[in-house]
Amino acid sequence: ALVLVFPPLPRLRGLLQRCWGRLERGLLPSFSGGQSPPWGPALAVQGPAFLPEPVTDTTESNEAPSLLDSILWMAAPKKRRTIEVNRCRRRNANKLIKVKTNIDVCPECGNLKQKHVLCGYCYAKVKAETQLIRLEMRKKEGGPFNAPTVETVVLYDGEKPTEKDEGKRIIERARKRPSWFVQN
Amino acid sequence: MLLSVPAAISHGRVYRRLGLGPRSRLDLLRNLVTALVRHERIEAPWARADEMRGYAEKLIEYAKLGDTNERAMRMANFWLTEKDLIHKLFKVLAPRFQPHPGSYTRLLQIPNRDGLDRAKMAVIELKGNPFPPLIRPQRDSEKTLLNQLLKGYREDLQWAPKG
Repeated sequence: ALVLVFPPLPRLRGLLQRCWGRLERGLLPSFSGGQSPPWGPALAVQGPAFLPEPVTDTTESNEAPSLLDSILWMAAPKKRRTIEVNRCRRRNANKLIKVKTNIDVCPECGNLKQKHVLCGYCYAKVKAETQLIRLEMRKKEGGPFNAPTVETVVLYDGEKPTEKDEGKRIIERARKRPSWFVQN
Repeated sequence: MLLSVPAAISHGRVYRRLGLGPRSRLDLLRNLVTALVRHERIEAPWARADEMRGYAEKLIEYAKLGDTNERAMRMANFWLTEKDLIHKLFKVLAPRFQPHPGSYTRLLQIPNRDGLDRAKMAVIELKGNPFPPLIRPQRDSEKTLLNQLLKGYREDLQWAPKG
């Protein structure tokens, strides 16, 4: 019995039908002049009585050649890129990570820092101390929106306000003065 | 064909676009200026801090005119959203910066933010604030290589004529 595999794509089906048509004409040269009679099997067998006639679909035949032409026109690499060529492209100067020459050593703590940026360690130190000073200020002010109308000065353990700190608000910090916070 | 390509390229454009639009940008900068006047040292993305610096310095120049000045008071009223800071501006910051002709703020870059965006951050502070200094001025010390070499040369000059 003849089994026709149903192709999923309509364009492929059109192609197969045209191939099948060519095959038919090649197999039955005697019938090329006239109509092809239904050519069934001699014995009664399970299966179709006649060959399936190609379904003429004008729209399909119009569509398919344009798509085949366009498939033939699309860009595709001609040759495999060799590993040498690939290496040249991948290791090109503009694809590698740039080397930074602006890294220096912080003179205070010895950590690395960029030349135009503050040292991370020293800044974290100063930020922590500022945070504690601000805590004391908040305790002194009490509530929100109580910004003082006088200057502020920070004094550490055992320090007395000098004559320069006359009318200023004094913030006490309960620790020894750190070496990097110079009193002026 | 894309006719608005010149609008999409920003080569040479100097003005920054922050926030959602011009009003939003002004609100952002106003919040930053208020925070700076309140806390005298703040951390912010570098672009915003740089943009805000000009506005903060102009505000201090207005404050130096005195609080009886109508324009100065209107400026301070617009730029400072917390009204107790207007008193601080006219009574503390204006006298502090009276002797200085300009540049009342200091902008320094910080290592990039720790979050996912790794944004370029800066710390902006008013000069003369009570907090510990961010940069220590380099004092020349006796122990540096150059100074040790110069000291040796001076000693050689001392000893050489005697011998």
